[in-house]
Amino acid sequence: METQDPHPHLALLLKQYARDLAQSAPSPELDARIDRLVADPARIFSPAPLRRRSMPPYAAAAGFAALAIGAGVFIGMRLEHARAVLATAAAAHDTLWPPTDLTMWPTDSVSFKIPAEYSPQGTLVAVDPDSKHGSTRYWIDVVVSNDGTFRIEQIVPADSTQKKGGRDGVAPKVR
Amino acid sequence: MKLVSSDSECMARLATGDANALRELYQRHGRALLRFSSAMCRSRQAAEDMVHDTFVALMREPICFDPAQGTVFGYLCGVLRHRVSRHFRQQKRWVALDMDSDTAPVQASDSQCPTDEIARSEITAAFRRAMLELPLQHREIIALCDLEELPYTAVAGILDCPVGTVRSRLHRARALLTIRLASLELIDLESEPPIAHRGLS
Repeated sequence: METQDPHPHLALLLKQYARDLAQSAPSPELDARIDRLVADPARIFSPAPLRRRSMPPYAAAAGFAALAIGAGVFIGMRLEHARAVLATAAAAHDTLWPPTDLTMWPTDSVSFKIPAEYSPQGTLVAVDPDSKHGSTRYWIDVVVSNDGTFRIEQIVPADSTQKKGGRDGVAPKVR
Repeated sequence: MKLVSSDSECMARLATGDANALRELYQRHGRALLRFSSAMCRSRQAAEDMVHDTFVALMREPICFDPAQGTVFGYLCGVLRHRVSRHFRQQKRWVALDMDSDTAPVQASDSQCPTDEIARSEITAAFRRAMLELPLQHREIIALCDLEELPYTAVAGILDCPVGTVRSRLHRARALLTIRLASLELIDLESEPPIAHRGLS
């Protein structure tokens, strides 16, 4: 864009104003200030007194934004980590269930020896081990498990086995 | 015979800590800088403060000057221009107190100083007031191009903009100033220059 010459009236006023400006010389005060500057240049290099500077608004906004982004990233990482842990646990649960060290059979069981004799009705009933027995006495080996079941292992004549156990002739045996 | 060192030599001496180089630069360019500053600022005191601050800045960091980017005077004008711009930005934060004229102290503020120590006549005083009403970027382009009569390339270096921008900005600044002066009846857009003005040229 070619700059045109200013309006003639404007050109005249500009010249007159430039002439007035040219007549103004630096004041003695300004000369003295420059002289002091030259004479003692170390003065301007002295550390300025510390003063509190208010934080510019844009700096505060940028700080808050950075803080919010950081908090968001941190929370996101935590959520992502928690989700990964849950996914890993779920996968482990799916693959390891039922655990290999667990069986359908109980691990603990107790066996009892119960003295018994045949009743007149022909059934085998438990009797006091200290009582005198009139008929053939048998030992009933019962196994009670911790899952609430029990089973009869064997029934043997008392004469063929050695008497064990406590008061009731019960001899717990943990397998 | 006294040897006169160039601006670049003065800057080199200043960079080595020779404060007398600052005095030489001031004697060489201080007056032109004061003209530019006076055209930009309302009060003479503010204009001189700007010039002083420019030389303080020069003394603090003389190594900032790069001879490849322009002359020392252009560099000083650039520093001064930034000082003036910052000065006016700071002034916007100030709030004028509503005081009675009888009790008001003498105003030292740049924006409140009604006295005109630059203009020598009523016409130039009115012209100066119209000029000071221009936006800062238009005021500085007229001060550099029309008052200091610097070449466009030098002004472009000072303002750190292309030469085309200098031309367009100058064109717009002149148009604004012409309209303003016409509204003040200082110039007549449809007639020849008045006799009173002819004698000035």
